[in-house]
Amino acid sequence: MANMAVQRIKREFKEVMRSEEIVQCSIKIELVNDSWTELRGEIAGPPDTPYEGGKFVLEIKVPETYPFNPPKVRFITRIWHPNISSVTGAICLDILKDNWAAAMTLRTVLLSLQALLAAAEPDDPQDAVVAYQFKDKHELFVLTARHWTNAYAGGPHTFPDCDSKIQRLKDMGVDEHDARAVLSKENWNLEKATECLFS
Amino acid sequence: MDSDIEMELESDNDGEFDDDYDYYNTGEDCDVERLDPKRADPEYFEFDCLTVEDIEKLLNELVEKLNTILQITPSLAKVLLLEHQWNNNVVVEKYRQDANALLVTARIKPPTTAAADAASTSAAAAASAQLLRIGSSGYRTAAATLPTLSSHSSGNSLTTQVQSQYRRMCPVCASSQPNDKFYSLACGHSFCKDCWTTYFETQIFQGISIQIGCMAQQCNVRVPEDLVLTLVTRPVMRDKYQQFAFKDYVKSHPELRFCPGPNCQIIVQSAENSAKRAICKSCHTGFCFKCGMDYHAPTDCQIIKKWLTKCADDSETANYISAHTKDCPKCHICIEKNGGCNHMQCFNCKHDFCWMCLGDWKTHGSEYYECSRYKDNPNIANESVHVQAREALKKYLHYYERWENHSKSLKLEQQTIDRLRQRINTKVMNGSGTWIDWQYLFSAAALLAKCRYTLQYTYPYAYYMEPGSRKNLFEYQQAQLEAEIENLSWKIERAETKELGDLENQMDIAEKRRTTLLKDFFPIIGKA
Repeated sequence: MANMAVQRIKREFKEVMRSEEIVQCSIKIELVNDSWTELRGEIAGPPDTPYEGGKFVLEIKVPETYPFNPPKVRFITRIWHPNISSVTGAICLDILKDNWAAAMTLRTVLLSLQALLAAAEPDDPQDAVVAYQFKDKHELFVLTARHWTNAYAGGPHTFPDCDSKIQRLKDMGVDEHDARAVLSKENWNLEKATECLFS
Repeated sequence: MDSDIEMELESDNDGEFDDDYDYYNTGEDCDVERLDPKRADPEYFEFDCLTVEDIEKLLNELVEKLNTILQITPSLAKVLLLEHQWNNNVVVEKYRQDANALLVTARIKPPTTAAADAASTSAAAAASAQLLRIGSSGYRTAAATLPTLSSHSSGNSLTTQVQSQYRRMCPVCASSQPNDKFYSLACGHSFCKDCWTTYFETQIFQGISIQIGCMAQQCNVRVPEDLVLTLVTRPVMRDKYQQFAFKDYVKSHPELRFCPGPNCQIIVQSAENSAKRAICKSCHTGFCFKCGMDYHAPTDCQIIKKWLTKCADDSETANYISAHTKDCPKCHICIEKNGGCNHMQCFNCKHDFCWMCLGDWKTHGSEYYECSRYKDNPNIANESVHVQAREALKKYLHYYERWENHSKSLKLEQQTIDRLRQRINTKVMNGSGTWIDWQYLFSAAALLAKCRYTLQYTYPYAYYMEPGSRKNLFEYQQAQLEAEIENLSWKIERAETKELGDLENQMDIAEKRRTTLLKDFFPIIGKA
């Protein structure tokens, strides 16, 4: 790996470790391997959002040409958000694509992602299904996002209604994650979800 | 009339030995030549085919002109011209009005600086000083970008040399470097030389040239050409940068367009930026000057794009349609269409029919040619969604079939000409006329191709037209043209030398129909 990239990552790693945010436990970063090409980030769900109380883990891959090209980042923790794929965790964010600037750092990336959780852009969606729900049935969206935060990111709220519906599908032999994804997509309509799964 | 006679007399007197004075071809008498070609021919288009060198010269002249007026570097002039469609007058005028705003919109300067406020009263004077400074002293190194960024002390290389003993951290590579290795743009974000260079190379590698921006976050100040070329030293990268930049310059110039022909280096120039046909003198590709696609009169650029996308999307249906054969409506023998004409004669039963509608040709020939018109189902609003969808598909297929049919005929043009040549050879061998007697057939074939081409592009136009009297008129004219073309095609294929007059008459009629249609419906001509 290019010398400049390693040097930059090392410095940025330190920057994150020394930052105020880490003291407040809102962002975190750790190494995955010794070559500094892959890191693991973690952001806390921002307050007053459906993601509050959750911890979201990110995969960060540093390209050879870093910092002249952006790092490749995706969510490992599953999340229900218009700009993040509910299946792959791929992120749609300008600074990770065309608007990347060489002077940006891992800290700015993590903080930007946190900001994205607080302010979704449903008109520029990564996940069309989620974006549709966000715009059309916002209350259901908030419920679903909270439920996912609870199920995958250790969020504090429990949703017995959702859980029982998932359990019904599990009893039919459906995988828990598939059941949750389909129910979320079908606005928690059990009949439609069943139809979708078994037709 | 009196004056005409006088003039003729005068000219007779002037030319002393001018015995064979041509009474029939004096300029005064000839109405046709006096007609403005722009009016006579709806497709008239003036253009030049230039080489890369010609264009470089042309652009450089514009840059130099601006340099002398505003006293700025070529690099800066290029950016300003690029942002203003290479219109010198607009740049100069904007500069005189508010030079600061001009520099901000051209992304030479960041949106708000202290200098902008201070200079607002005497904008022109202050900004001219800035222009000079940005232009002449190159890119200020770190020493000059310290707090007094917008002061009037110009940052020259002397100051940086003095301060070079100091070291500082480059925010990109995170290494400590001597001060004189730092460069910054008007925004004041400074980075070390190596980082700029690597950054430029990665950007150039991705095909970005004049749009390269500052490396700082949220800063979109543009990196002008001279800094890139100062720092990037690898010849390959420099060449690439200059090639990409040249492409961007040409694309931003409203009077220039790259010839879309494969591997063609020609650039076409025309003062009139309209959807007319330009023909490359080098590779002979014909294309629409405005959008660079195949020439498409009377349809306009947006509609033809929509149509072509639609055709590409519906490739399955298109496949189905492009089954090349049809059955003879009378004896049901399978027939493959191998030439241009829609008037088919079954080789088996000698039945004459129309290839498009499979109707009897007799009803087509003279009266009213209905085959090109699509008949809407009048009760469509009351039908179910399913029927509506089927009706929409039917409508599309109607236009598509006709479009595709003419396109195929055009592709077979070379074959038609070859066959024509063969036929002429046989005729000449049999003593029926000389080779020269038959030449008119080739010009007839060329005209036929031209008419067919226009006719092909009338179908997307009709498809997107709102139903109404204008559409009726259009389809009427389209049908007329279609009928005349078929007549012409039929006559060419069966021409004898003695029928020259008849054929020429037919050619004239077909071309008149074509120009009338274009005059009435080709949007550019309508506006002009």
